[in-house]
Amino acid sequence: MSDNRLPSENELPSPAQLLRSTLVAVVVAAGLLVTLVLPAESAIDPTGIGRLLGLTQMGEVKVALAQEADAATHADLGEPADAPASAAPPQAAPAEAAREVTVTLAPDEAAEIKVDMLAGRTIAFEWETDGPRVNFDLHGDGPGIDYHRYTRGTDARVTGELEAAFDGAHGWFWRNRSGQTVNIVLRVRGDFTDVRRVM
Amino acid sequence: MDQQRSAPQRSLWLGLLVCVLALAVNATFTAAFAHGVADGDKGYIQESSGILFGPFVYLGAKHMVTGYDHLLFLFGVIFYLYRLKAVSLYVTMFAVGHSITLIAGVLLQIQFNAYLIDAIIGLSVVYKALDNLGAFQRWFGFSPDARAATLVFGLFHGFGLATKLQDFELAEDGLLANLIAFNVGVELGQMLALAGILILMGYWRRMSSFAKHAGLANVALAIAGVALTGYQLVGYFNS
Repeated sequence: MSDNRLPSENELPSPAQLLRSTLVAVVVAAGLLVTLVLPAESAIDPTGIGRLLGLTQMGEVKVALAQEADAATHADLGEPADAPASAAPPQAAPAEAAREVTVTLAPDEAAEIKVDMLAGRTIAFEWETDGPRVNFDLHGDGPGIDYHRYTRGTDARVTGELEAAFDGAHGWFWRNRSGQTVNIVLRVRGDFTDVRRVM
Repeated sequence: MDQQRSAPQRSLWLGLLVCVLALAVNATFTAAFAHGVADGDKGYIQESSGILFGPFVYLGAKHMVTGYDHLLFLFGVIFYLYRLKAVSLYVTMFAVGHSITLIAGVLLQIQFNAYLIDAIIGLSVVYKALDNLGAFQRWFGFSPDARAATLVFGLFHGFGLATKLQDFELAEDGLLANLIAFNVGVELGQMLALAGILILMGYWRRMSSFAKHAGLANVALAIAGVALTGYQLVGYFNS
């Protein structure tokens, strides 16, 4: 039960105490801003404390993502990167095909490879790096579908089967956060028509 | 006399201002998507795996300090608490409640509808404001135990945190350590926010006008809580 009554004088902090608390709060807030918030949000780290705690690294990823999103917005205005509808006419007879593609990613670089597939068709795939683990996101898009996720995660090698959930482009997005250059080899076999790097 | 008449108006404006601010903050934190890749905190979390203690402590603290719904509830809870011992007791009840459901919710992958949870969190603000106004005593002749209520609403606030964290799609690798780090951050952020609220309240309580405006402030708090609840329910029925 909270007693909602008014305070008596001796329950309240004195004006001097309040002033002291305020000054301490302002100093602490300024300190937190410089040592934690700026590194974590903008990768600005004048004290080096942010890097020690791993916050500057977070800021760097956020800044990079923001720049890429910015660049993508501008690029999208120019040309639609993925046009699966025209790339995969439903009448095209999907031949049993096999392809191998290699991409090289500098640190923090990303790439995306897509194959065109009709709904219900399957492929077998396998990709591996020459060592480091990379972030991946296996997804698809098609007419009226911006983004459909199959799986994502972080790994150095993945084998699997993919059944297209709809007519469209399906494939792998990789991001190299390993700090070193990575080569990725992708092998695809099965019912697909076109392989291309879209990013 | 003039002042008397303008006071309820002021509290209405205050309530409206809080709602507008809440909506603005909400819009700012809605993640933008490009190519299925989120940016900001969510983007960072999706691209990370393994134990990241520092970043998750920071994210937990940030969530609390920028979480207006949690802050409004805390503001209501400590409104009539003048002794530090009482403040720590209630805040501990709140912390125990939301820690349990935050960690259990994510580990057991308990998924609630985010809108409904946030609507209940809005109701927790309404409850606390009405409790401060003595409304339950007047209407029903008794008030629910405030400590138990703080604990129970703490559980709901924790589910809200857990729901948002699951939306971030945390990697399995290092999940427990990162969750604990996030929870530590939530508590640190809560202490920071509380310190700020207590200092401002300290100045206010010394003013002679505190007695006059205390009731109106809780009316404004109740309005803000109702607005939050309504806003989340609209989101629920539109989703």
